[in-house]
Amino acid sequence: MDTGSHLPKTGMIGELSETRYWIYLLLLPSLVIILLVIAYPTIYGMAISFREMRLTRPGLTGWVGFKHYLVMIDDPVFWVALKNTVLWVTFAVVLELGLGFIAATALNRNVPGTGIFAVLILVPYFLPNVVAGHMWALLLDPRLGVINDILVRVGVLGSYKAWFADPNTALAATIFVEAWHGFPFFALLLLAGLKGIPHDLYKAAAVDGAGPIAQFRLITVPMLKSVIAAAVILRVISLVNSPDLLLILTGGGPGDATQVLSLYAFQTAYKDFNFGYASALSVVMFVILMVFAYAYIRLSKIGQE
Amino acid sequence: MAATRRSRRMAADILTYFVLVSMSLFCIGPIVWMFLTSLKLEADIVTQTMQYIPNRITFQNYVAIWTQSSFPVLIGNSFIVTLITVVVCLATGTLAAYAFSRYTFRGRNTLMLGYLVVRMFPAVMMIIPLYVVLRSVGLIDSRIGLALAYTSFLLPLFVWMLKGFFDAAPKELESAARIDGSTRFGAMLWIVIPLARNGLVASSVFIAIAAWNEFLFALMLTTGQGSRTWPVGLQLMVGEFQLPWGVLAAGGILSILPVMLMFALVQRVMVQGLTAGAIKG
Repeated sequence: MDTGSHLPKTGMIGELSETRYWIYLLLLPSLVIILLVIAYPTIYGMAISFREMRLTRPGLTGWVGFKHYLVMIDDPVFWVALKNTVLWVTFAVVLELGLGFIAATALNRNVPGTGIFAVLILVPYFLPNVVAGHMWALLLDPRLGVINDILVRVGVLGSYKAWFADPNTALAATIFVEAWHGFPFFALLLLAGLKGIPHDLYKAAAVDGAGPIAQFRLITVPMLKSVIAAAVILRVISLVNSPDLLLILTGGGPGDATQVLSLYAFQTAYKDFNFGYASALSVVMFVILMVFAYAYIRLSKIGQE
Repeated sequence: MAATRRSRRMAADILTYFVLVSMSLFCIGPIVWMFLTSLKLEADIVTQTMQYIPNRITFQNYVAIWTQSSFPVLIGNSFIVTLITVVVCLATGTLAAYAFSRYTFRGRNTLMLGYLVVRMFPAVMMIIPLYVVLRSVGLIDSRIGLALAYTSFLLPLFVWMLKGFFDAAPKELESAARIDGSTRFGAMLWIVIPLARNGLVASSVFIAIAAWNEFLFALMLTTGQGSRTWPVGLQLMVGEFQLPWGVLAAGGILSILPVMLMFALVQRVMVQGLTAGAIKG
């Protein structure tokens, strides 16, 4: 059949695309991959958490029910890691949100040169964790760290400080590095949000006599609410789930001062090859995240919009 | 009155520049310092008094990491893994993104939400079963196995990003082609995909950067020279050989070069795409 189209012929696939199976053909390839590399491993992973599986002791195998979960309750490291996770994620998100907001507000004024500044501010977000980690380890090094040097010269510090080796500063130092790495993400999303607010709103408010602070409180914050909520939840998920930066900077130390759940689970799997317990830890992590996400979406009511 | 308004505006501009300049310094300063370190002799790094501007500039750190370690092999492995990941995402994700963007069908929203939820699974929860599964099919410590593992979290991201770009492509031309007698597949292949090519490039670059940078999966799923990627190799070198700071810095600079290059190439489109996807999501 000559269709009369000017576009090149598409043969059999073209004919198939006219049938009602087309939509399934489009979806099938990615769905197969997702089921293969996500759905199956996830279910399998949950199953492992109820089993004994240690690569170092192949003989030790079989179902153990809730054993790993019961062990967890009496595991002091688990509770320390849980506490650190909450601290790490909370402070990092607050810091990143604050810095991101300042950056977005400044970028949104569109002064000449904004384009270049936007690119420079975005760069840390695309830096690999491995490089960012070692770079900051060098900057904060107790013997040759340039930040120590600057702080001593300015007079803030008496002598060089071992930021990552001191249990009192280790967690704060890693939060600082994480904030550097992650705040551009908030800057980007909030900038998009700010650009979406119609200018007329501010003009109308100014006519009504609202000052900058009132405008910020009554227009900017409510209009940005859903963007902030979405950004926070995405960031919390990735912070809870990825131990990369801590693995490189401190490995959870000194002691367990920077041990978080994701890192603990990873080390249990990678160092001890205790897959059963590591799976149980990550299942608990996942459940906590789900509960948080559900409660957060409910409270911030982003689901209604 | 006009004078105060102008001066207030001026003050706001000055404050804006102050914020932008200090934030840019905060973001770029550490990277500049790493670059300076990579150009220093080790003796000039480990000194009593800090050298802010290198006295002597040397490229021996770059020569050292490239010739005296397995760095070229690591970079090659990373390149191949990244390439496979992008090809798999492009081949399968483009079709799905197109379907989500253009058609309504039963279960569409559920499926899209499902694509998002899978990103919430903790990496560790995926890594352990992936390790067991890949080992049983002989794909552990292989570049294809690692690339497949990467698609587990990058394919959903790719689909979501690309859907935003497809949504933005005008539907009129497509309808015209259909009226003209083109098949659905023809309209997609010759009209919509060329229209959304910026989005295709940007989404591909975004997942390419993510695959290039990835560390945790690679650490767990690769064990030997055959498939080990550069983040893992660099990290292990630090642990095993007490890598000198200058060499480590040179390795860092070399390995972020491709990222910076790709980022510079598509930053404008990518920023648009990221924000568009985020707002709609």
